[in-house]
Amino acid sequence: MHGLFRWSSKWWPGTIPLVVFWAIAAWTNTSPLESDLAARSSAALKDTVLDKTRIAVAGRDVTFTADAFSEVGRRSALASVEAVPGVRLVNDETRLVPEAKPFVWSAERDVVRVTLGGSAPLPASKIKLLEAARASLGGVEVADQMNLSRGAPPRFDDAALLLLDQIGKLKDGKITISDSKVSLSGMARELGGREAIAAVLKSLPEGFSVAANEIKAPPYIFQAYKDPVAVTLTLTGYVPDNNVHAALAAAAGRKFFSEKVVDNLKASVGAPSGFANAVMPALGALSRLSTGTLVVSDREVKLSGDALYDAAAVQMRAGLGKDFPPSWQFKADISVKPQAAPVDATVCQQLFSDLLAKGKIRFESGRATIDPDSLGLLDRLVETALRCPAANIEIAGHTDADGEDGFNQMLSEKRAQAVADYLVKAGLPASQFTATGYGSTQPVASNDTDEGKAQNRRIDFLVR
Amino acid sequence: MAYLVTFHWGWLLASLLLGFAMGWIAVVHRGPGVSKRTSLWLAVLVAALVAAALARLVPGRPGYWLDLGLIMFACYLAGCAVGSWLRDWVLSRHAPAA
Repeated sequence: MHGLFRWSSKWWPGTIPLVVFWAIAAWTNTSPLESDLAARSSAALKDTVLDKTRIAVAGRDVTFTADAFSEVGRRSALASVEAVPGVRLVNDETRLVPEAKPFVWSAERDVVRVTLGGSAPLPASKIKLLEAARASLGGVEVADQMNLSRGAPPRFDDAALLLLDQIGKLKDGKITISDSKVSLSGMARELGGREAIAAVLKSLPEGFSVAANEIKAPPYIFQAYKDPVAVTLTLTGYVPDNNVHAALAAAAGRKFFSEKVVDNLKASVGAPSGFANAVMPALGALSRLSTGTLVVSDREVKLSGDALYDAAAVQMRAGLGKDFPPSWQFKADISVKPQAAPVDATVCQQLFSDLLAKGKIRFESGRATIDPDSLGLLDRLVETALRCPAANIEIAGHTDADGEDGFNQMLSEKRAQAVADYLVKAGLPASQFTATGYGSTQPVASNDTDEGKAQNRRIDFLVR
Repeated sequence: MAYLVTFHWGWLLASLLLGFAMGWIAVVHRGPGVSKRTSLWLAVLVAALVAAALARLVPGRPGYWLDLGLIMFACYLAGCAVGSWLRDWVLSRHAPAA
């Protein structure tokens, strides 16, 4: 042992190469050691939920920066880094993610994109929400403006995912979760969308409630266009149900005696109350126009087009509003079609016969009251009569053979007179018309069949 | 410590061998040694450095270099001790025969 002390006094020359070794080792190993420690630290944090994690290594000292989502999580992350073999010191620069109070999350849809904003509780839920938004919206751009915050209510993810599904049903609008209160505003994309969203809101996770649902339904639109060139009536838009649909289609067939009805109507919920009662008279008015468009939007009826003569325009402007249910609005933009050139008596008779071959003037059963469905035809007869100022016209009423002859005779006279009155009211001189009733004396078909009887019940216009 | 040893085992082995060689030579070396006073000062210096390393007083890279230097120095000393002792043993076995 004594020798060891003696020899040790002569060990010093070896320290000179030792220092050289040391310098080379330090020079070559510092960077690899630091990157090795950084990799080990990152691996140790792999399963820890953190945001903005940064690891900087100087020598064997690790500077650890991160935002944690709970105090427990922060401490355990710190301990994981401290436990990495080779790490000498950990400079703790971790902190907790700020707490949001109230915790607000929102999804907003405008024309081009959906913007997710506010706070999300964890990176995983943020990713989940973004993916759900992209999946449910197809090709729509999804912009992410979400921050991470603490303080989310329980079951936040479920609620947000449920609401995110609804954003696809909106044309534009905003859905907000503030703590456990849900508010919605905007416009549904389709009719029924508002109701569908309201139904889904009932299944919000426990603890969440709807503070405000201000989703508006898109306007309930019904349109009819009478095209005199193509001789069509085009119906588009919505009807409340199939019964109303069938009734409207049938009414259109009766009122538009010469036009082909193109029916593009779809049944949908959300119709304003009194829809059928408003659309029926409006269609009647449209049938009296030469060309025209009827637009029913929610409770507003707009009728525009050309009436066949002055008096009809005046009647429709003044009278139609009265036919609608209360709280409905009526706007008429009706001009008068220029009168066509006069024609001689032969052509006149031809025009009357053509019109009456396409449609028949109808009356209430057993009475002389003109069916409102026939107003369109009557207006066309008025228009034709206006072109024949020189002609004397006999309006001949006929009935079928059912019932007593006396009654039939009287009914045919009254019906012919009712038509003559209508023409006079339209502004034609009374002296031009003679109303005659023939009862059942001049049948045009057999009275044995219902079809034949229907043909015999008629009004004829005869130019004398 | 274990991490440092596994990471730098090549350099530590080199230090050990260097020490062994130096210890081997030192037994028969006739040059001047370090005086007792100086070796005391050196021992104090090394003790201070070890204390600084254990207390983790030096931060960052210099701290790492200090640790590395001390470990290499320890290996060197161990090598020296083994080398000197072995040389002495070899000599003492040959001496009676001579």
